[in-house]
Amino acid sequence: MTEPIIDFRDVTKRFGDHVVYEHMSLQVFPGETITIIGGSGGGKSVCLKMMIGLLLPDAGQVRFHGTSVPDLDERGLSEVRRKVAYVFQGGALFDSMTVLENIGYALREHTTMDDEAIRARALECLEMVGLHTSVAEQLPASLSGGMKKRVALARSIAIQPEVILYDEPTTGLDPKNIKRIGDMILKLQRELGVTSVVVTHDMPMAHKVSDRIAMLYQRAFPFVGTAEAMWNSTAPEIRDFIHGRIRRAGASGAYTGEDDGLRDEEEGSDGIA
Amino acid sequence: MKSFERFGSLVLGGLEWIGGVARLVMRVARVGPRRPWGVDDIFHQVVELGVRSLPIAMLITLFIGMILTWQFGWGVEDFGATMALGRVVSVGLVPELVPTMLAITVGVKMAAGMTAELGSMKVTEQIDAVAALGADPYKKLVWPRICASTIALPLLIALGNLIAMFGGMLIAELKFGVPAGYFYETYIDELEPLNYIASPVKGVTFGALVGIIGCYQGFNTKFGTEAVGASTTDTVAATAIVIIIADFYLNNLFF
Ligand SMILES: Nc1ncnc2c1ncn2[C@@H]1O[C@H](COP(=O)(O)OP(=O)(O)OP(=O)(O)O)[C@@H](O)[C@H]1O
Ligand SMILES: [Mg+2]
Repeated sequence: MTEPIIDFRDVTKRFGDHVVYEHMSLQVFPGETITIIGGSGGGKSVCLKMMIGLLLPDAGQVRFHGTSVPDLDERGLSEVRRKVAYVFQGGALFDSMTVLENIGYALREHTTMDDEAIRARALECLEMVGLHTSVAEQLPASLSGGMKKRVALARSIAIQPEVILYDEPTTGLDPKNIKRIGDMILKLQRELGVTSVVVTHDMPMAHKVSDRIAMLYQRAFPFVGTAEAMWNSTAPEIRDFIHGRIRRAGASGAYTGEDDGLRDEEEGSDGIA
Repeated sequence: MKSFERFGSLVLGGLEWIGGVARLVMRVARVGPRRPWGVDDIFHQVVELGVRSLPIAMLITLFIGMILTWQFGWGVEDFGATMALGRVVSVGLVPELVPTMLAITVGVKMAAGMTAELGSMKVTEQIDAVAALGADPYKKLVWPRICASTIALPLLIALGNLIAMFGGMLIAELKFGVPAGYFYETYIDELEPLNYIASPVKGVTFGALVGIIGCYQGFNTKFGTEAVGASTTDTVAATAIVIIIADFYLNNLFF
């Protein structure tokens, strides 16, 4: 078997008393697209952040190409982050910079490209995510939520990373753009061999883009496998998930939400229940 | 017992805060002074912090000069010593009132602005994004701000000293009949080299403290927009307290 590009082994992560991961293991292999699904507040974003050392595990190992991410010095980390792009859940665009400056940020940090080349590359990325070049000089504050999301996507792919971590890339987008993002993930994988980790609540999207699906459930990934294997699984927690009755992470088997999908579950974990 | 525990946790909290601030300073001292220096970012921040604060700094120092002169004038009038006004006022203004008042007003405003800006960057994950895109947030965000406030505040204080003297001159002449020229002569005459040193040294110290506290508070903002408000409020109080204590300490050192 090939070496995993990202390798979690027996990872524990907690914030104070709140344990997010316990004995969690997950491997991501070169060239594959793996989707992480799971309830809101379960720790999907935390998992992505540990991959590039934005958060450190309390125990266990996180490796990128075999080197331990938490042990890297600044230069090593910067090198990993050059290769692994992160599309933030909320976009995290820099308010004080124009769309084009946002997209060119990593190029300015990591390459010796001149301003003209950076501009050209940024415009190219803007088009890849389906945005008109007229937004190029605007500030992020004047964009809609869906547009911000796509600018964030463009910013992450600008430097041509080896791995892209997408944190809910399609939440809040219209069907046309969901399809576009899905197609883009597939295209990057097929043409450039990009490895992708996609966090999503969108099951059709997961089905479309992923080679494997990892289900986050009770602080670990008890199921990692193909969409078919997941669909055909008889394990109760997986059946529950597929049918939209998700057990809340950490709650003692309490069900939230009805059969109308994942929306309810998101609200449930915000403490309304 | 309860209040004793509360006092204990207050002290522990304070120590933790000082520890956190010290860690930030060490981190910036390590990554800041290396190539590229970030001159553009620093310059941008100096303009942002300094130029924006010019009008308020001028207004405040003008009034401080006028108020102190008025107050002292009223005091020394009874002894018929109004001609000594320049001498009394200058040692109050130059090494003490102008630097400290400007630090407490304009400096605190700078710190609060930094906390608000960096705090909202924190809660919207923009600081994480800087790191994720391969840059060092301490180098990119903290270093230019600390440098800028350390440069801008002493410059504002230098200008403020001139304006405060002008304010004093105005009141001395118009209210107490001390000729402006004479006021100026005695004002300058009374200043020793130590006074000339104290003012900028205080400016640099307060400026650095302003940047350090403003940035630390911003980076340590918790979650949500409310947290930005809370940490900004804390910055105002913390900066003012630290400046006053530093002022006392520096006075001990100088005089
Ligand atoms: N920096 C942090 N400090 C403290 N707690 C945190 C931090 N980051 C995340 N958490 C906590 O960890 C848990 C998992 O958070 P995470 O953001 O990973 O959830 P998620 O699965 O991405 O949820 P969502 O689908 O809503 O984005 C949450 O309870 C959150 O409060
Ligand atoms: Mg998340």
